Amino acid sequence: MSGRPVDVAGASVFVTVMALLPVVFPSNYLIGVLTVSVLYGIWAVTWDFMSGLTGRENFGHALFIGVGAYTAGFMNTSFGLPGWWSLPASMLMAVLFALLIGLPTLRLKGPYFALAMLSGSVIMQRLMLIFWEQTGGEEGLNGLTPLIKSQLGFYYFALAALVAIAALLLALSRSHFGLILRAIRGDEATCQAAGINVTFYKIASLVISAAFAGAGGAMYAHYQLQVSPQLFAVVTSITIITMVYVGGMASIYGPVGGAILLVLLTELLRNFGEWRLMIYSCALILILFFLPGGLVAPTWRRLRARWAARRTPAAALASPQKPSP
Amino acid sequence: MSALLEVAHLHKHFGGLHAVRNVSLAIEPGEVVGILGPNGAGKTTVYNLLTGFIAPDPGARIVFRGTSLLGLAPYRVAALGISRTFQLCRPFVGLSVLENVIVGGLGGRGSERGDLDARARRLLAQVGLAGKEGLAVEVLSYGDQRRLEIARALAAKPALLLLDEPFAGLGSGEIADLSALIRRVHAHQGLTVVLIEHKLREFMRLVDRVVALDFGEVIAEGLPEDVVRHPAVVEAYIGRDDDAGA
Repeated sequence: MSGRPVDVAGASVFVTVMALLPVVFPSNYLIGVLTVSVLYGIWAVTWDFMSGLTGRENFGHALFIGVGAYTAGFMNTSFGLPGWWSLPASMLMAVLFALLIGLPTLRLKGPYFALAMLSGSVIMQRLMLIFWEQTGGEEGLNGLTPLIKSQLGFYYFALAALVAIAALLLALSRSHFGLILRAIRGDEATCQAAGINVTFYKIASLVISAAFAGAGGAMYAHYQLQVSPQLFAVVTSITIITMVYVGGMASIYGPVGGAILLVLLTELLRNFGEWRLMIYSCALILILFFLPGGLVAPTWRRLRARWAARRTPAAALASPQKPSP
Repeated sequence: MSALLEVAHLHKHFGGLHAVRNVSLAIEPGEVVGILGPNGAGKTTVYNLLTGFIAPDPGARIVFRGTSLLGLAPYRVAALGISRTFQLCRPFVGLSVLENVIVGGLGGRGSERGDLDARARRLLAQVGLAGKEGLAVEVLSYGDQRRLEIARALAAKPALLLLDEPFAGLGSGEIADLSALIRRVHAHQGLTVVLIEHKLREFMRLVDRVVALDFGEVIAEGLPEDVVRHPAVVEAYIGRDDDAGA
């Protein structure tokens, strides 16, 4: 039996809860935390689409986020262009950077792509400091105009963007395109023997991932009303990868949950002062040690299987089936 | 009749090692050809050269249905109609049995027409894996993984199927089953098949013609019964194989 209606029901519950939270608990602080968690959700889901599905780890996703944010910053503050224009422009710029790094490195085996992405984000962070007269250096670019003046309105816009991007990437991951990406993760040589242009699919997935990560960067810039070189920091990329691992790699929807969980956990631990990082790290280690497949996606799969077994008891007796993503 | 695949002056050096020496072959349409040779004879290297996984030394000629394969990436070679399996089973781990075969049909000629899902199910039934479509590929037995590899290769609608030691790691019952499957595929689809194998008994029953390699060069070629008696083959291979007396 297909679990698609259960997935749709689960997604609907998630969106409803996320939409009602700021209404039930009206607070600018909560809206702020939720907005950041949703933006991290966009970055985590885009990382998972390329790296989770193909198995080619990207240690510099912050590059696309930073490029998107600075594109928005320059367009809005230097050229005075409307904020909405920066969304497609930031996607284009992120795609350019994806091609610049992906074309020479994704055709190679080995760690070249991961290292190039890591180096790319570090180099961009340095360049933002070196060319401080144009980029604002440590201070970055300030005075961006908001996309939507109401904080709640922007939150709903970001939530809608997350849902749209996750739905699109989930649909792609369940199409033949996504099947090929997962096959590439399984065995590149066998893919080639099956007549599949592995390099093309890896670059295409990177381009799609970069485009939406860049758009997320632009949204973040217009939410914070400033951009800084810290966006390119390695810790940004590592945080996103951690969110994907906690959510469940290669599931697309799992990283959304992983991002929200980890942002909320960070906020909940603020009262613990210096112990905060210790508790956060221990929680991560425990999750990754006891749940190597992640927390969100495997939990959802179990719930879905239990629900399906209750509807059709015969399903519970079936031989071990491969779980759908 | 013009050959389906023509290979001439095929050489490959890996540093100081001359792995393939001046190999020339002609595979006719509809043939089942066996490539015989002891370990390290260069059999798999020949497959890798034919399918674009490694490039031959300059001067080689590899022509498939009138098209030169030199310089083509493996996916382009596959798209022209050459499917292969690997010495060790290399299924797409993480995908179901059905998905493994669907992927086989997504590249090149495989995706030309028809419902991939239905065709993949038919191929799985043909190789004896009906009812296992939804299983994770990791839970299949080794013999079933071999069958799956053949189904995946057939999904690409090849004109030439290259099987690399299809009986390796299988028991005698599984070898007989797989051998019957290869015969069926050849008979029903008129597919040209080339196979590398060490299990001489099944191998000799299966092939129309044998090419024997040793130290990267062709040492004998002809009918199976003639090749196994060839002095160079006896010296290079038969005398060292447990199966020889079988």
